[in-house]
Amino acid sequence: MKNKIKVYRAMRDLTQEALAQELKVTRQTILAIEKGKYDPSLELAFKIARFFGVPIEEIFTYE
Amino acid sequence: MKQNTFYLLVGIIGLAEVGLFWLSVELRSPLIITAGFIMGVGLLYVARLMITDVAEDERSRLITQKAGFRTLEVFWVIFFAVSLGTAVIGFSTPLGIPRPREFPREFPRDQPYLGYFGILQMILLCCIAFLYIAFRVYYARKYGEWDTDEE
Repeated sequence: MKNKIKVYRAMRDLTQEALAQELKVTRQTILAIEKGKYDPSLELAFKIARFFGVPIEEIFTYE
Repeated sequence: MKQNTFYLLVGIIGLAEVGLFWLSVELRSPLIITAGFIMGVGLLYVARLMITDVAEDERSRLITQKAGFRTLEVFWVIFFAVSLGTAVIGFSTPLGIPRPREFPREFPRDQPYLGYFGILQMILLCCIAFLYIAFRVYYARKYGEWDTDEE
């Protein structure tokens, strides 16, 4: 699964730590998702999409 | 409770468990270490819930779950086999029906290999600990626990 979290994070000028705090996860989790090492749960994926104000399929794409 | 306080508690309980094991062997009473181990682990589970300075999230829980599951998947076969062996030793002696025999305080003199059985059990217990740590390290690496590329 690919994602555009890094892009959206850059657009908002957010650090991984800041995004992690907003989503109540660890920075390592954000890093692992961005690098494609960890696929988030559906709940966390929706939280990320909601945080950036976009549909979930805009951020996550299944390949 | 802070994470470091928790680790300190783990160390203290670990030492207490070693002491209880020694006492258990000295008194030839397995109940002491059995009850002590259950209480020690229970105490650690409660203490873990009280940690406030480290956030546990779904990824770290997944690492713990996967490591635990894989360890169990490998080790239940070995423990099952060893337990079957123990059952054979037990069933090879009179069962004590209708009146159960007391737990033997003295090892049977005609079965001198029982001491080696204790060593085998200790080796297995050490193996399960190392196996869990190995699986934990593997999954932690897989899910990027030690990656660093903050920009």
